[in-house]
Amino acid sequence: MSGTELVRVAVDAERCIGGGQCEMLEPEVFLVDDDEAISSVVGSGALPRPRADVVVHRCPGAAVSIVEPQRPSE
Amino acid sequence: MATTRAERLLAPADLQDPATFSQGIPQEAFAEMRARPTLSWTPPSGGDRTGFWSVTRHAPVSEVSRDADLYSSAVGHIQIYDIDEDALSARASMIDLDPPVHTRLRRLVSSAFTPRHVQSYETAVRARIAERLDALMQAGGGNWVEAVAAPIPIGVICDIMGVPESDHDYMIELTDHLVAGTSSKPLEAGAYGNTTDLRLLPFNSPAAHGINEYARALGERRRAEPADDLITKLIEAEVDGERLTDAEFTNFFRLMVFAGNETTRASMAHLALHLVEFADQFERLRSDPSLLDQAVEEVIRYSSPILYFRRTLTRDTVLQDTPLRAGDKVVMWYAAANFDEEVFDEPLRFDVTRPLRPPNVAFGGGGAHFCLGAPLARLELAILIEAILSRGIDLRLAGDPVHVDSNFVNGIEHLEVEVR
Ligand code: HEM
Repeated sequence: MSGTELVRVAVDAERCIGGGQCEMLEPEVFLVDDDEAISSVVGSGALPRPRADVVVHRCPGAAVSIVEPQRPSE
Repeated sequence: MATTRAERLLAPADLQDPATFSQGIPQEAFAEMRARPTLSWTPPSGGDRTGFWSVTRHAPVSEVSRDADLYSSAVGHIQIYDIDEDALSARASMIDLDPPVHTRLRRLVSSAFTPRHVQSYETAVRARIAERLDALMQAGGGNWVEAVAAPIPIGVICDIMGVPESDHDYMIELTDHLVAGTSSKPLEAGAYGNTTDLRLLPFNSPAAHGINEYARALGERRRAEPADDLITKLIEAEVDGERLTDAEFTNFFRLMVFAGNETTRASMAHLALHLVEFADQFERLRSDPSLLDQAVEEVIRYSSPILYFRRTLTRDTVLQDTPLRAGDKVVMWYAAANFDEEVFDEPLRFDVTRPLRPPNVAFGGGGAHFCLGAPLARLELAILIEAILSRGIDLRLAGDPVHVDSNFVNGIEHLEVEVR
């Protein structure tokens, strides 16, 4: 089922403008720091593809991307 | 194949004349421009040496917004008319700078405006809104702009900046005059004790001098006695180990009070018109409160408070089948892209059930300059709509809206209402 395919997301800190949408959508995966409001990925950054797509599209700074399909764990 | 000047499609309306916007967004002219295969051209006029290209579709607005390298905010002005180099640098704030300088400045304040952080302003915003609505209800009506739309956003942004309540009215007055600088009304050069050459001041307005002076004085007070506010943060901030210069500081303050104020005010003013004209849509919302976010977005799309921002090409390129040259001016008409029939089904219909995706571009098409205050503006509008519905306010228009005389802000100056 393609709906459950896991992908890995990444944040380009240079492009991040602190819009904070990623953290609102996926608080387990993104953390926007309290100082300069730069987002980063916490943990493995794995998300089901449809949810990752929503974050990618909603990022106003176009700073979130899908880097690779997540390998199924051994 | 490059288009020759003769082949260029000319914009069907005078987009530099505030009169073109005196009844709001020129929907017919924009629809005609969107339907064209290429961008539309306006030849130079007034003192300008070059004309400009108009972008009216949704997709190219996003494309331009997201490529700050190619479409610069720092080269040339972000308004249509040209200004001199010295004037550009004298007024520069993050909005007319490019990354990486832009981004270093933005990060000084961005943490105060994330969706998570703005939730902490909710109680204060709710209290401000309640006070204004209750006063209007008691009076049985009045000028909606003066009573509700103007004081709420300025109060909220002034609180965040650290401007004391007693100075809020003065800030409204100064920012009103700032927008008057984009209109055809003549300005008194010496107003607010101004001695600076007007062409050096933002919007060529002496009120900008007044705001700078105010910021300086407040900054001095906070330097002596720091507080938990953004003025203190800016006074103490360091970028690459250096404090902000006097001009960087005053320009920053002016951008914040202007951007946080005029825009949200415009959408709150339009909201009153929407409540009357599209009452069925608000009934729908009343019966299904889960539509609140969509309703907020629809008010923002439909009001498109900022009509346009301009960028300047740093290299030759092609946009929407139109060859462009380095130095060309590209004007993104957000107010046109927000009614792009390719993206918004029956765009002239006000519809609180419209999907949130794809987003409207009232806050910009994404990229480095995407509106810093978007989460705050959405919060303010959501609370205002909720408060109006929960009070059962029945609004009637008691006069025609008077539009702000500007080709840049889709504002309403005066709107007489009755409340029941
Ligand atoms: C409905 C209300 C508002 C609208 C329609 C609006 C619209 C916009 C637009 C179109 C831009 C330029 C985007 C671009 O160039 O890509 C912008 C930038 C900006 N806005 Fe807003 N705005 C609103 C409310 C606010 C509020 C409440 C604040 C308060 C903090 C604010 C602060 C700013 C700032 C500081 C910028 C410059 C950001 C930068 O250059 O990086 N705005 N806004």
